[in-house]
Amino acid sequence: MNIETLFNYLKSDLSTSLPAFSPELTICATILALLFARLFNVDRRGSLISPAGITLTGIGVAFVLSVVQLGKFTDSGSDQGSGMFTGLLLFDGFTAFFRVFLLVSIILIVWLTQLSGIPDREDGPDFFILLLGSTLGMMLMASANHMLMLFLAIEMTSVPSYVMVGFLKGRKTASEAALKYVVYGGGAAGVMLYGISLLAGLLGTAHLPEMAAQLAKIANDPALMSGPTLTTLAIAVVMILVGIAFKLSLFPFHFWCPDAFEGASAEVAGFLSVASKAGAFALLVRFCLAMVGEFTEIHATPAAMKQFNLQIGVVLGFVAAITATFGNLAAYSQTNMKRLLAYSTIAHAGYMLMAVSAMMIFLSLGDSNGAKRAIEGLLYYLMVYLVMNLGAFGIVALIRNEIFSEQIADYAQLAKSSPMLAVGMLICLFSLVGIPPTGGFVGKFMIFAAMFDAAEYQPIMYAVFVVGVLNTVFSLFYYLNVLRVMWIVPADESARTAEVPLASRSGAFVAVLSIAVIVTGTIFVAPVQQIAEQVTRLVSS
Amino acid sequence: MPELNFCILIGAVLFVSGVVCMATKRNAIGVLMGVELVLNAANLNFVAFARYTALGLDGQILSLFVIVLAAAEAAVALAIALNFYNNHLTIDVDRADDLHG
Repeated sequence: MNIETLFNYLKSDLSTSLPAFSPELTICATILALLFARLFNVDRRGSLISPAGITLTGIGVAFVLSVVQLGKFTDSGSDQGSGMFTGLLLFDGFTAFFRVFLLVSIILIVWLTQLSGIPDREDGPDFFILLLGSTLGMMLMASANHMLMLFLAIEMTSVPSYVMVGFLKGRKTASEAALKYVVYGGGAAGVMLYGISLLAGLLGTAHLPEMAAQLAKIANDPALMSGPTLTTLAIAVVMILVGIAFKLSLFPFHFWCPDAFEGASAEVAGFLSVASKAGAFALLVRFCLAMVGEFTEIHATPAAMKQFNLQIGVVLGFVAAITATFGNLAAYSQTNMKRLLAYSTIAHAGYMLMAVSAMMIFLSLGDSNGAKRAIEGLLYYLMVYLVMNLGAFGIVALIRNEIFSEQIADYAQLAKSSPMLAVGMLICLFSLVGIPPTGGFVGKFMIFAAMFDAAEYQPIMYAVFVVGVLNTVFSLFYYLNVLRVMWIVPADESARTAEVPLASRSGAFVAVLSIAVIVTGTIFVAPVQQIAEQVTRLVSS
Repeated sequence: MPELNFCILIGAVLFVSGVVCMATKRNAIGVLMGVELVLNAANLNFVAFARYTALGLDGQILSLFVIVLAAAEAAVALAIALNFYNNHLTIDVDRADDLHG
């Protein structure tokens, strides 16, 4: 290839890649705008431009761009995904969906920070730059198509979130949480990178689709598919899954999660709990699909590879069951609300992982319809999880601003002093349990249904299914305990009371999220499901 | 390929040293040095695979990116360790025990 053909190739590649990459570019431009606004001193107190204003404008533009892109995909239906930047990133319906999802979640987070006052205007640019940088990493996670991008995206998400966890200066708990997060996170990233190096060396490529092809080639050769090759392959895949499991706070890599959430402010904890989980799930699905190879080639997949994928599915299923059980059991003894929600986050990561496990089992057996249903359940659950969990963390932040406490005991009689927050918390927690008519019920139902179908192929998965359903029942009690304190337990005479009326900016935030939780569980079940279904069809096409 | 095996062996030794360092050091800076060792073990693997297998240039590019990332992560991690020191007057990770349960 001479320099001219290379140049022409790059020119044609860039002209298709840059428009597809426009939401990310907008986020980059917003980060630059925030930096320049601070440099030229135009966003300080008293001036018209505020850091949050710049941020919201940037996210708004990116949101419109990505909604248009998603619309293009869902309209054309069978539109195939295309590679961006010489195939390093993949641009398909899945990417477009996760961009919209992540942008909605940071719009809600920025809205919440404006209500709760963390960060203040002086620290605003720093905080929003970190928030946007982290989101950029998550958007890359959803579109990663190369091991390099996979690792870069994970690091790009993690490094700003380490700083955000320690953002509250001069607090012992915040600095401790950040230190624990960065030490564990760095370790997990290192192990993951070593796994990537082994896998890339074994397969001779780091491009996900080519890896799948190479994997099938190795699996076809009985001489290669034994002994050292198989061991190396298994070690490498396990190491990479460790890195992703750390981001998803799956058992036994969950220990950072409660500490980081307790030390961080509730706004940051909400961001980590929703957006970071969604990005990591997108990445896990991408990686799993790459291991399986193209949907259409399922029947050509050699038996050894099918067995390997089936085993990954079963292992993920058991990890999911243990994670959900552990999260729910540990949540019982918690007295701090953020810590309780952290364990609840762990449990929910377990439920959502069941969908990925079911997907792997379906795919290993060539049932692409079952796999579609499983991804559909995962996407639906993520959408509901966004509103219900962010609602719960938002209410924790709003109560903290009133009573300066995050202890559950201090929430006594909240139902009397600010019924709005108590009702919002009730709706969000009921949805987290999965009680109809909330969105959480429909999401859990879809995931458990997919798991149940997968169990027909692999009877041992009935155990995972039963554990999942039992966990839903366990979890009812600790969520109910919070509500009991809010509604029934008498308050101390000296206790501070939180008074947030319905007709206030905070009231509007809580109302919007609570209504969204109910709406996703009732009248909007069909449309939300339709979006999930369309996106899934795009993934498999 | 004896050369490749030799490189991977060095990489594996570095990796294990890094993991042991992360697990046993009680000083936060020591733990971070362990992380660096693990990252460099992976880097060595990448470069070795780039030289001796079909991975080719991809491996060298990967290791270049990882070097940059490791620097960025070290900067953030050291800042966080300094912040911890300012609040606790120690960087012993065992003294980070306010959050538990």
